[in-house]
Amino acid sequence: MPRTFSHITDSLIRHRGVLGAMIVGIDDGMIVVSTLQIGVNGNAFAALSASLYRKARRSAAAAGFGATGFLELAAEQGRLCAAGAEELVIIVVCEQRVNLGMLRVELLRSVEQLP
Amino acid sequence: MRLSVVASWVESPLKHFVDDARVEIAVLLHPSGQVLGQYGFARSIDVMTACALASAIHASSSELGRQLEGKPFSALHYTGKDRQIFLGAIPAQGVTLLLLAVFDRESSLGLVQLFLEEFKTRVAAAAPPVAPDQPAALAQDFERDLNRNLAQLFGRA
Repeated sequence: MPRTFSHITDSLIRHRGVLGAMIVGIDDGMIVVSTLQIGVNGNAFAALSASLYRKARRSAAAAGFGATGFLELAAEQGRLCAAGAEELVIIVVCEQRVNLGMLRVELLRSVEQLP
Repeated sequence: MRLSVVASWVESPLKHFVDDARVEIAVLLHPSGQVLGQYGFARSIDVMTACALASAIHASSSELGRQLEGKPFSALHYTGKDRQIFLGAIPAQGVTLLLLAVFDRESSLGLVQLFLEEFKTRVAAAAPPVAPDQPAALAQDFERDLNRNLAQLFGRA
């Protein structure tokens, strides 16, 4: 049976305040697997978030900070959290009320399962 | 790099697409190979070559789509070592145009596809209706029109 990553997004979406979780190709911005609540435009979100993560990773490398571990974007009404491996990045879109500490731990654990 | 267009309605949609999707090259063309607007090329011969190849690729992939699915494929993507090519069909007032985009690691397939949808909306709103008595694209004066369009793009009209 082919290995899928849906268990990762299924687990992340269970956190209170999480609106969507997806695994996206870092280079192409295409969704590999996603679990989204109604109202989240997955394709647009994936493409833009992957681009953001890619640039953050390059910025960190250019600054001599090494690899990017966890990326958090705090906006007025929500947050975007991302953690990536070599080729894939896990992206979570969530409300302000989310337990960020718990989410961060699970994201970093989940990244270890990615190729 | 200069954006140049044959028809004025092409300028705004193409500029938005280039700025948003961060592509290196973008060419809007008629499926026959006639260029309508371009960004990224400095020589007319390159535009002519790209349009001819894009037109041929579209014809081949459309026929392949018809054979496999009964309808033409709407987009084609090719990943090279450093650059990628995206060729998409753009509906515009009863005709289908083609957008050829070349991009590197500054952009991505996801971004190109995302902003392609906005581009389609802008083109559909801006493109003039096709006149019923408009001659076929491959008429006798095809080459003359092609040369005129290229001359307009590169300021030699």
